[in-house]
Amino acid sequence: MTAMAAVRRLLDQFSAMAEKSLLELEEARERGRKIIGVYCVFAPAEVIRAAGALPVGLCGKRDDPIAAAEADLPANLCPLIKSSYGYAITGTCPFFAVSHAVVGETTCDGKKKMYELMRRLKPLHVMQLPYAPNLQGAQDYWDTEVVRLAAFVEEMTGNRITREALAVEIRVQNHIRRLLRQLHKVNVADDAVRVSGWDLLPVLELRNFWPDADAYAERLAALVQALREVPRTAASYNGRPRILLTGTPLGKGSDKVLRLIEAVGGVVVGMENCTSLKSAWSLVDEEDPEPLQAIARRYRALPCSCMTPNEGRMALLSELVTEYRVDGIVDLTWHACHTYMVEDAAVAKHLERTGPIPLLHLCTDYGQNDLGALRTRIEAFLEMLQPDFHDGKEE
Amino acid sequence: MSDDYRSMWTDLGLDLEAHDALLGVLGNAYREIYLAQQDRPEGMGYFDFVMSEVHGLRIKELLDEKAAGRKIVGSYCVFVPEEIVLAANATLVGLCSGADFAMEEVEMLLPRNTCALIKSAFGFKIGKVCPYLESADMVVGENTCDGKKKAYESLGHMIENLYVMDLPQMKSDQGRALLKAEYDRFKAAMEVLTGVTITADALKEAIRTVNAKRAALHRLLSLRAADPTPISGLDALLANQVFFYDNPARFTASVNAICDELEKRVAQQQGVFAAGTPRILISGCPQAVPNWKLPWIIESAGAVIVGEESCVGERGTRHLTDDTGRTVDELMAAIVDRYFQVDCAIFTPNPDRLMHIKEMVGAYHADGVIHYGLQFCQPYLMEAIPVEKALEDENIPCLRIETDYGMEDAGQLKTRVEAFVELLKP
Ligand code: SF4
Ligand code: SF4
Repeated sequence: MTAMAAVRRLLDQFSAMAEKSLLELEEARERGRKIIGVYCVFAPAEVIRAAGALPVGLCGKRDDPIAAAEADLPANLCPLIKSSYGYAITGTCPFFAVSHAVVGETTCDGKKKMYELMRRLKPLHVMQLPYAPNLQGAQDYWDTEVVRLAAFVEEMTGNRITREALAVEIRVQNHIRRLLRQLHKVNVADDAVRVSGWDLLPVLELRNFWPDADAYAERLAALVQALREVPRTAASYNGRPRILLTGTPLGKGSDKVLRLIEAVGGVVVGMENCTSLKSAWSLVDEEDPEPLQAIARRYRALPCSCMTPNEGRMALLSELVTEYRVDGIVDLTWHACHTYMVEDAAVAKHLERTGPIPLLHLCTDYGQNDLGALRTRIEAFLEMLQPDFHDGKEE
Repeated sequence: MSDDYRSMWTDLGLDLEAHDALLGVLGNAYREIYLAQQDRPEGMGYFDFVMSEVHGLRIKELLDEKAAGRKIVGSYCVFVPEEIVLAANATLVGLCSGADFAMEEVEMLLPRNTCALIKSAFGFKIGKVCPYLESADMVVGENTCDGKKKAYESLGHMIENLYVMDLPQMKSDQGRALLKAEYDRFKAAMEVLTGVTITADALKEAIRTVNAKRAALHRLLSLRAADPTPISGLDALLANQVFFYDNPARFTASVNAICDELEKRVAQQQGVFAAGTPRILISGCPQAVPNWKLPWIIESAGAVIVGEESCVGERGTRHLTDDTGRTVDELMAAIVDRYFQVDCAIFTPNPDRLMHIKEMVGAYHADGVIHYGLQFCQPYLMEAIPVEKALEDENIPCLRIETDYGMEDAGQLKTRVEAFVELLKP
């Protein structure tokens, strides 16, 4: 078997695991584990796991339940919120069904107000995010929010969260984060690109669904190792414009921009969003004798656009551009997402000043009506990055 | 407005040509909407004067205050505590943001899908047409909604003295602690700005001043419970709007004088509209000067507005601050307690607002509620649907309006409002 074939096989295993994850969660539930649905990377997995509960990502990625959601929500709202809520009220999301409770957070106005309606359907715990990460008052507030979450999961599970359990979970999650960074780095080593962004999507998504974090980390390590063995010449995506996708999260079902970029000849070498590197970059301090505080510190520094100012995102973008030798950035915003939309201007300014590096803003939703228009804009962008990229594609 | 002000405006850095255009629009709108009303209380002459001098005499007063060493602080939101500003011997003025200006340039800086109020704040800055903004020694922004919170990042590049206050989103103990930390930080910032140390006496006096102006407004608003109502909704809204930038003591005295007159009107059953006119409560987003569009449409459709559940209205003014504390800490705690009650839609959950709407419907004998949402304002548009459902459950008719500052939809709004008013008639 060639090195690349080994990689492919491992990738297939991730997809196969994704299909089995619901079953695994149901079994865990039957064995008495509590399942906690989360909508956002601000809900610390370490805390939930340390209480013996299992976090599962519920964020809506498909268009199907949106029409139903619009009975209660304004039409002019982010599709992610409508999809998430639509899944909940129509009872069509098995992961929502399997959850004992859900954890929401006040990231944006739309989500925050949506949770008020979701409350009817499930026990719901809302974490408040303070928006000024540099202020002491906001930091203190967030520390207490993490403590409050811990109390909530303890109550749910009847288990006490110990320092030792937290330390273990911190190490596991940090390990996964390091592996995800390595994965992206190894993928683009020696000026080659081995697998596409689309290939990596199931790997990234499984992180939010697979109950056994150690087993997931093991798979990830195997994938990193296999990628290392792929020689430069065997890589499939060399010579394509290397794109960094930034902005709002996406997943299977809301992946049209990712797919289009790669369909017209680019390759996505990294995603600065909650699906991917935004939530994998920074680590929790493993040496801190107060693990809960260390967790709080790490999470409140996540560079989400709900923060003001959100300097962390600018710094992260610059780091990723260098680390993956990015040719151009596509900034994806879901329709009616104010925080990311307004931040577009700051991103543009930052890249102008530091790069400059070409940037394309795209604002869309989960529908398929604008595929043609998006394709045209992405094509033009790639053309600009690399005037001869069409020839490259035909190789 | 007299020509003497032109050099004042030039000194402030206003764009005179653009400013003339704005004043022209403002003057016309005021004439057509306000002065055309019938049977207005005589006391409203005071507000007519205030409006005619809104960029003139009042600015001159502020500049005189500045010359005497007093600082001017501008604010976009009812969460900025006037008590603290006054106690530091500074003056607070609201930055109204009720009209579109320089929209093309604004939309280069902000997404088109941003609420009109935020765009207006940018437009007034870019167009250099707001003398209040230009006289301010400090402008205070706050992290209320997503749009404003993120927009302040860009506004900060245009207004060097912008100070941003974080706000809690939940009414928990921790939420209160966050508000307290932010008010303490604001107090310290005010002390730095003015060089004045805030004392208990100064705070107490400031609380009394602001309470007095709120109480005067309460008196005026409560008189609207009468049928016929002695004052139009448009005029009451104007009083609520002027609340934000007039001299507090003078405002209090003038409103009280109007109330004396209104009390007589009520006793004589004299009103601006006939008894039995359908009565409407407006609830939702703020209506800043000169955003008179919806009230004007409502009152020309044969209804009368009897209350505003809004930041420019009872949501902003209904609570008083306890002035019995003896120390700075006690008084600051009272201020935190007072503002923490404001039931803005940025809070989750926000059940008090719905209760307050129902309470106002009862107190002012409203026949129906018009929910006023600015396009793209997620906090209020998200609350609108549950509010409407809850009201209809109690057989209170509700009409949800979503609009902006443009006049393009005026015809369509008029039709919808007329149909709604028709429905309310006995
Ligand atoms: S994409 Fe934007 S609007 Fe949608 S949930 Fe995330 S932060 Fe909120
Ligand atoms: S009207 Fe709504 S969107 Fe506009 S500034 Fe106010 S809260 Fe924000």
